[in-house]
Amino acid sequence: MQSVSTENRLAGLTRALRKLATSLVVIATTLFGLLVITFVVGRMVPTDPVISLIGPEADQQTYERVYRMLGLDQPLYVQFFTYLRDVLSLNLGQSFITKNAVTTDLARVIPATLELSTLAILIGGGLGIPLGIIAAVRKGSWIDQVARVVGLVGYSMPIFWLGTLVILVFYAWLQWIPGGGRIDIYNEGIVSGPTQSLLIDSIIAGEWEVFWSALHHLITPALILGYASMAYLSRMSRAFMLEQLNQEYVLTARAKGLPGRTVVWGHAFRNIRVQLLTIVTLAYCGLLEGTVLIETVFGWPGLGQYLTSSLLYADMNPVLGSVLVIGLISIIANLLSDVVYRFVDPRTR
Amino acid sequence: MKRRELLKSALLSGVVIAAAGHLSLANAATPDDQLVIAMNMSSMRGLDPHDLNQFESAEIAANLYERLVVLPADNISEPQPGLAESWTISEDGKAFTFKIRSGVTFHSGNPLTAADVEWSLRRLVKRGLAPSVDLRQWGFTAENVDTLIRAADDSTVVVETPEVWNPSLILYTLASFSTSILDSALLAGEERNGDMGGEYLQTRDAGSGPYTLRTWRSNDILIAEAYEDYWQGAPAMRRVILRHMPESASQRLQLEAGDIDIATRLSSTDLAQLAQGGQVTIQQTPGYGFYYLALNQKNEILANPKVREAFRYLVDYEGLAQGVMRYYGTMQQTIIPAGLIGAIEDNPYTLDIERAKELLTEAGYPDGFSMVYFANPNTPEGDLAQSLQANAAEAGITLNLQLGDHLGSFRARDFEVFSARSGDRLPDPHAVLQSYATNADNSDEANLTGINAWRTAWDVPAEIQEMVTAAAHETDQERRAKLYTQINEAYLASSPALITSFQRSDVKAIRANVQGYVGHSTWLTRWDTVTKQ
Repeated sequence: MQSVSTENRLAGLTRALRKLATSLVVIATTLFGLLVITFVVGRMVPTDPVISLIGPEADQQTYERVYRMLGLDQPLYVQFFTYLRDVLSLNLGQSFITKNAVTTDLARVIPATLELSTLAILIGGGLGIPLGIIAAVRKGSWIDQVARVVGLVGYSMPIFWLGTLVILVFYAWLQWIPGGGRIDIYNEGIVSGPTQSLLIDSIIAGEWEVFWSALHHLITPALILGYASMAYLSRMSRAFMLEQLNQEYVLTARAKGLPGRTVVWGHAFRNIRVQLLTIVTLAYCGLLEGTVLIETVFGWPGLGQYLTSSLLYADMNPVLGSVLVIGLISIIANLLSDVVYRFVDPRTR
Repeated sequence: MKRRELLKSALLSGVVIAAAGHLSLANAATPDDQLVIAMNMSSMRGLDPHDLNQFESAEIAANLYERLVVLPADNISEPQPGLAESWTISEDGKAFTFKIRSGVTFHSGNPLTAADVEWSLRRLVKRGLAPSVDLRQWGFTAENVDTLIRAADDSTVVVETPEVWNPSLILYTLASFSTSILDSALLAGEERNGDMGGEYLQTRDAGSGPYTLRTWRSNDILIAEAYEDYWQGAPAMRRVILRHMPESASQRLQLEAGDIDIATRLSSTDLAQLAQGGQVTIQQTPGYGFYYLALNQKNEILANPKVREAFRYLVDYEGLAQGVMRYYGTMQQTIIPAGLIGAIEDNPYTLDIERAKELLTEAGYPDGFSMVYFANPNTPEGDLAQSLQANAAEAGITLNLQLGDHLGSFRARDFEVFSARSGDRLPDPHAVLQSYATNADNSDEANLTGINAWRTAWDVPAEIQEMVTAAAHETDQERRAKLYTQINEAYLASSPALITSFQRSDVKAIRANVQGYVGHSTWLTRWDTVTKQ
């Protein structure tokens, strides 16, 4: 018996390793493809990076000097391989707008975006999934109707518009919320902690005024982003749940007299956890993109704003770097959800 | 059940507390000793004054650094002493001797001496980046600058020009942000690969101005603090905070709420709304540049003077001045910006479709023609372009409007019709005329890509070019003024290929309690003159 289980474990380990190797190859290929596409698209943007650097009045001498400085006199494939070599040595180049190394900039903007999107997914998932499940269980009731309206509105209303509306009502008219940014300017520079998340760092430092200021600024954009993903998550979880509730095992469970709550949460819910994990991961990756709009509306100094302003001025190193990072985060999120599946669903073990 | 109730009430009270905290924190007006300015930082490219070339960065450099000469915002063509206490000009008009003010210290604590001035001016020319044209246009080169600009002793600097120029041109140049004086002792320790401290200066300061740089995160925030040991005394605003706010609507909302003191780059609609409110003053600062239309002279049709003349009747000057251009410019059909010597108030052209048609018939195009028209989509350039397109259509000219960033095509002479906005930084007609009314060599090989007339392939009439050159060298101010008036009239009469319609102005909205923030036409708006009531 003992040897059989050891053998099993060994086989399991080999399988896991093989799986890991396969995913690593997939990741590398995906990232490479991502790099190629962004690089090519970036060179096709009809904006001259040299002119946006030297201004419209500069003379030819200056133009040529800067052109060479940016390495644009090299053939395209040489530029690409130079870039690839740098990326492999974790050097994403320099941004000509911020004049910083792209890695330095990213280290500053990513925590801001992660803080925002993580809170948003907690709100979206925390409210959306229960709402969807209750709507499914009480199909046709008033709560189902409410969930449907909430979902419809969240689906169809663009978040930048909702964001603008919220600012107009709650900032300009009612003055309940602050008008954008990550923190009040007067609390700027007090906390600089290890996690770069103002919420966590201010708790660590015991700076409660900074904490409240940061929370105060974070909550509105997070609620709006969270609302958008809540709409999606509630519709999806309602559909998943309905499918389960129509299965025979649910009928059996009900027939043998189990209480409704046990049937729903103990049986049906257990079976949709894997699907939920998948859509939460998808929604989280979607949120990273959604922040591009909400960050502009709320003046949030995150990855989305960094990416768009770089793109508008054809500053390609930050664009490539940001896309790479977003790709990486998506891949990591998917990998993590794969790992969690194995705990939730015995069939994948 | 009990646990559930407990949880519920805990959650509820949490929400209430959070909401209460939320409300009490809102509504913070800016403090009396801090100035908050909202701006679009997207096009800012670092803070090295010998490298930057852009409106927003220039205002920051104006306050972190100082220059030999000061041009007061309200009397811009009268040079005043800055870091130079006084100056003399030699008989032959070539040598400028500056007496450097004593007792000035940099933010590092190093004293400012003639050696810093020498090093800084040489650095501008030697690095050869975009703003270096400010000195290079007078004949300074990396090779000759070491002999032409030199410190005679600790408090004397001699600047010699290779040729005789009108002295105002040189003094104006030495007031420009590009000739800011840097802390050479500090930067000696920050040199990387012979960049003379270039990398260091992109995100830090080495100046002697009224403000020191505390924090800069590009596209986010810049905080400057008053320099306590400033030689003219510490400024009233303890802190100046610049916030990145690209959206006109959010700038307006925050200005109305009192969260910011000054909004820049607002849209026409928002400006009109703010102007009605009364809490805010709208400040329009004239700039030395134009909204212009360029007709490529390589094109046979556009090279016809009658066709060029016809275009002048297709701009709706009056309508635009009342509408789109109300805050962005003032009508100006001549080539010397208002307020400078030689400027004349002569706007003889009006929108006249019939006259344009007559001219087209005389030129041999009674049925019009079709052209590709490149223009910038931004406000107000895009609106100007659409207005011209509509009027041209009525006269039979089909303009196929392509909105986008076409400056590269303009520089490469690869266009038919193009319109944009220019901006020069010297309060002297020469800066504008050099670009609009000189073209030393019209061949493709000459590559004078910095010159608008070359970009347009316009062989400017020789007598205009000669007068422009003569006026720049002329030292007698009266003769010079007369010459510029002549140039201005000749340009207007020449059916130019570069048609000016509006002189640009830069607009800011300022809350009523802020005093002393005066927009500067050469981008050197100061913060140390600001007070709050």
